[in-house]
Amino acid sequence: MLIRKMKYIILVGLIMINGSVYGMDNIYISGYARNYTGMLLEGDRDFSIIQNTLDLNFEKKSMKGGLLVNPYLYHTFDSNLEIGLREAYLDLFFDNFDLRIGKQQIIQGKAEGAFITDVVSPKDLQEFLLPDFDEIRMGVTAFKINAYHGNSTYEAVWVPVFTPTRMPDATSIWNPGMDYPVQPVFDYSTSDVPARLENSEAFIRYSTLTSRFDLELVGGYMFYDDPVMHMTKEFNPVTQQLTGLTVRPEYHRVTLGGGSVSLPVGSIILRGESGFYSGRYFQIESPAYPGATVKKNFLHSMAGLDFNVRGIIFSSQIIQEYILDYESGILNDEFDHTLTFLAKKDFLQEKLWLELFIYTGLNEGDALIRPKISYSFTDGFDILLGSNIFAGDAGRFGRFDDNDMIYAKIKYYF
Amino acid sequence: MKKTHAALFLSLLLTIFMIQPLSAEITGKQIMEDVYNKPTGDDMQGELTMTLTNKQGESRVRTLKQYIKYGDEVDKKIMFFQAPADVRGTSFMNWSYADGRDDDQWIYLPALKRTKRISSDGKSDYFMGSDFTYDDLGDRHPDEDTHTLLREETLEGKTCWVVESIPKEEDYMYSKTITWVMKDNYLGLRREFYDEDGDLLKILTIKKFDQIDGFWTILETEMKNVQKDHKTNMAFNNVQINRGIPDRRFTERSMTLGR
Repeated sequence: MLIRKMKYIILVGLIMINGSVYGMDNIYISGYARNYTGMLLEGDRDFSIIQNTLDLNFEKKSMKGGLLVNPYLYHTFDSNLEIGLREAYLDLFFDNFDLRIGKQQIIQGKAEGAFITDVVSPKDLQEFLLPDFDEIRMGVTAFKINAYHGNSTYEAVWVPVFTPTRMPDATSIWNPGMDYPVQPVFDYSTSDVPARLENSEAFIRYSTLTSRFDLELVGGYMFYDDPVMHMTKEFNPVTQQLTGLTVRPEYHRVTLGGGSVSLPVGSIILRGESGFYSGRYFQIESPAYPGATVKKNFLHSMAGLDFNVRGIIFSSQIIQEYILDYESGILNDEFDHTLTFLAKKDFLQEKLWLELFIYTGLNEGDALIRPKISYSFTDGFDILLGSNIFAGDAGRFGRFDDNDMIYAKIKYYF
Repeated sequence: MKKTHAALFLSLLLTIFMIQPLSAEITGKQIMEDVYNKPTGDDMQGELTMTLTNKQGESRVRTLKQYIKYGDEVDKKIMFFQAPADVRGTSFMNWSYADGRDDDQWIYLPALKRTKRISSDGKSDYFMGSDFTYDDLGDRHPDEDTHTLLREETLEGKTCWVVESIPKEEDYMYSKTITWVMKDNYLGLRREFYDEDGDLLKILTIKKFDQIDGFWTILETEMKNVQKDHKTNMAFNNVQINRGIPDRRFTERSMTLGR
């Protein structure tokens, strides 16, 4: 299988490099090679990751159309070689509209480091939220049309095949896990969403840039990217003690409506984003819900601001998750708040960058602190040293308290 | 006799009136207003190569394509970064308003695939690691400074006015600038920038200029930071003026697609 994949990648590369044979001259090839080495600070100082990456971009553009193929190759010390296509699409350009067909990353919203209405492309969470965002977002095979009128864009997306969130392996240090009262039996009979027309997803988006503000409105009829764990419990009829548990993961439809705005107020940029999800499932511990799930409407919002002080870029966001018509027993809090903070500054004429990014979970008092320093030896050749510090005992970040790490990334762009 | 005196008086009066406009000295403000208002055409496009050289002689090169459209109320500029590889695909758009309000600025980062509005407050920030600040690259309105014509002198064979400009804004990044304005085309042949302590910080020199499509245009310029011994050379190629750049060039679509 792997050899077949490699042959495919090499074949695509050769065809494109020798593209003039097919009348596809002027193909631009770019990409990067990277080594990423991370070491845990707790315990025996295990390496959390040693990964070599090759990421290629084959690009061709003309006045009427274009194509992009972005294969990648990950080689990690503890797993097999992974080869895939981050994106591979064709573009057709017309006077007032464009078509993009193929595997593509589609991004929405104005929040940074959070996914509020940005839900067209699912996430690859194999290493939690730590990779760069172009690596967290997975491409989806989609048909996208963008129509333009003045400074406004109207977008419609049809995703024929559902792609869920990619979760870490069960043995991964980034697997969030779930606590079950007894050893569960997993029933995967409903965990696939068959590739058929009725299971396709559709999204629409309107966006405009004006001299006073930027506005984006979105809508979606889609599957929620994370599975819901429906549970069937078996009790001893005499003692009424739980004796068995069957967990059946299933993906469910949700309807999304939302929008985002960005506007300058003096020297500050204010940002806001909100997404209303109709019919999202949550886990619940209540005898009234034997399946341990409940369907609720959900509001996910963000307010943030960006500004510069003496050449330092600052950005901060408050993110709220709100379960409407809340019931006791739901595992999530009715309100959940997360604060983000970014400070970034360059030195030596953009050769040296210092950055600090912090997520703070206000409900659990947990945090993820991410200081970074990067230096550009020469054009396209960077070294980055950083640390991921998880604080707290519980919550989205605190549960990874044992995964504090330092890491280095050496990257060469070409 | 009276008639003779009257004629003489009248002649003197007329002579004085005729001579007065010729002998009136042009002011620094007038010169800088003429520099600001010199004809530029309705639009301009071209390729820009920036070469950054540090005191060790090491160079880094940035290339981009830029399009500018001048309007009565708003000037629009868009830049598409082409090299080095790590910034390729990035685009930057700026709308600058005649009514004096802050510029609108957006940046598109291909890794994030998102067009983001950014604060235009960082005018003293350096553009892409060069020795040019964003304000150095823009057209500073003459009303923002107090101008004094210091002298006339010949520089590199060109007759120039030498104008000192002191910013009215107290905490501006420069305490003053001195500009050598060529009399025959109103281009600034040389400009010296002085830091907040009054010490010479940077020298801007025009290396090459020409008439393109009937408009005097700077084709190569160098900014040298004399305190850091660092310099940036900017060379403009394939400059075209008044080619009718459409409004749709300055939109989110253009930023996203890089075309």
